[in-house]
Formats: sequence, structure tokens, C-alpha cells
Amino acid sequence: MTIASQAATATQVYQLYIRASQQEVWDAITNPAIVAKFFHGAQVESTYEVGSKLRSLSPDGSDTWGDNTILECDPPRRMVHTWRSLYDPVLAAEPESRVTWEIEAQPGGFAKLTLVHDRLDASPKTAASVQGWSYILSNLKTVMETGEALPPIM
Amino acid sequence: MVMPVDDEDLVFKALADSTRRLLLDRLFERDGLSLIELEAEVPQLTRFGVMKHLRVLEEAGLVVTRKQGRHKHHYLNSMPIRVIYERWIDKYRDRRAAALLELRDQLESPR
Repeated sequence: MTIASQAATATQVYQLYIRASQQEVWDAITNPAIVAKFFHGAQVESTYEVGSKLRSLSPDGSDTWGDNTILECDPPRRMVHTWRSLYDPVLAAEPESRVTWEIEAQPGGFAKLTLVHDRLDASPKTAASVQGWSYILSNLKTVMETGEALPPIM
Repeated sequence: MVMPVDDEDLVFKALADSTRRLLLDRLFERDGLSLIELEAEVPQLTRFGVMKHLRVLEEAGLVVTRKQGRHKHHYLNSMPIRVIYERWIDKYRDRRAAALLELRDQLESPR
């Protein structure tokens, strides 16, 4: 892999507008019942306190998908947590990366959600796989605006 | 600055220009470029031209800028295209597109 293409994947930015308040978006991304709707049915548990774990399991609870740590938490604006893709042994072997959620209130009853997945420099396979954020976040928008999830992609 | 909110017109207008699509292609290959780096990627454009096109892309939400230290980095944001994809393509794909592809296959298949 060349330096240029490593740089290309080191930081990924996803930004979208959701017809909801800042608080509603925050509640959605920290409410396990709603996270399950937009994140492949994952079972998530966390107290969302700095230093606490952010664990996620497969829908039936048999596989660990994530065992991350909350690095920053500033409701309803900002949350930062570590990322390792434990659902795939090849991805899990790569170094830890970082996910930042930023929610800003917007005029007209909208919130702007920005997700930055960075520190991916040494994790090229994870970088390629987490481009699935676009599906996840689009699903979050659909869930919040219509109450229904998109059809599964796989 | 006026923030774009769910404005498909802005996205379609931003995409309806080959130079702006070129800038997006460059960011797809190398994300997070600074203005100076982007200028070097499209030597046929002046700095003013690059800035003008970047502003249109930013207003459409297709490019998001982040400051890191003294540098401003430009990132390709795929979400507006994703939203349009789901709104305009996914919706019709199963019905019309499948029917048309089937028709094409029938017409093109050797008898």
C-alpha cells in the first residue's frame, strides 16, 4: 500500500442532516433500542460515562462485535469512543481507531450529525470496511424521520 | 453562511459540472487534502476556480472541511449521494429497473 492511499483512508468524515432536534439525535444514538434499529440489530450496552465500556453484541448475543471505551461524552453534543471491529478476526487484529459523533442544532427543526472515523492510518482493512457508516447513518436518518429501518443490505 | 438542509437541488447542481466531479474524484482517491494540495491536483484551474467550485461542493454537503492545527482539510462526504441513492434509485430499482433489465436481456438474447 502506498503512502498516498494510506492517507486517503486515515480519516473518514460522514455528515448528514436529520429532521429532529439535537437532543433527539443524541437520545437515538445512546438508546440501545434505537441503536439496534439502525446498527444491524446490535445489542449495545454502556453507561456513556468517560472511561466506561461501550459493548456491542450480535442480535442473538452470541458474538461480541465491539468492546470499546468512551473517551469523551458531552451530551447532547459530542461523544468520542475507540473502535475495533471484533466481528471479523482480520479487522480485529488491526490497531484501535477512533469514532467521534458531533451533533449540532440547526434552524428549521434539523440537527446536523457529523461522524469522524480517524486514526485509521495503520488499519487499512478496517478503513475500507467502515465505509459502511454511510449505510448505518442513512438508516439512522430513516429510522428517526419515518420510524422504519431500511431493508437489510445483506 | 447559509447551511444547506436536505436540499437535493444543491447536490444535483453541484454534481452537474465536470470540474466539480473531478475534484470529488481526487478526494475519493486522496481524502483530506488541503486547498494547496487540491490546486496541485487540478493544475488546469486557478486558485480562485478551485475555491469557487469547493464552495459549491461544500454548500451541497459533498465536501466537509475540518481544521487540524493550522491546516484546513477537505473531505469527501458521501452522505448526500447516499440519501439521493435511497430516495431515487433504491426506490425504483426493484420494480422498473428490474423489468427493464429483463426486457433488455430478452431482446438481446439470441433466438
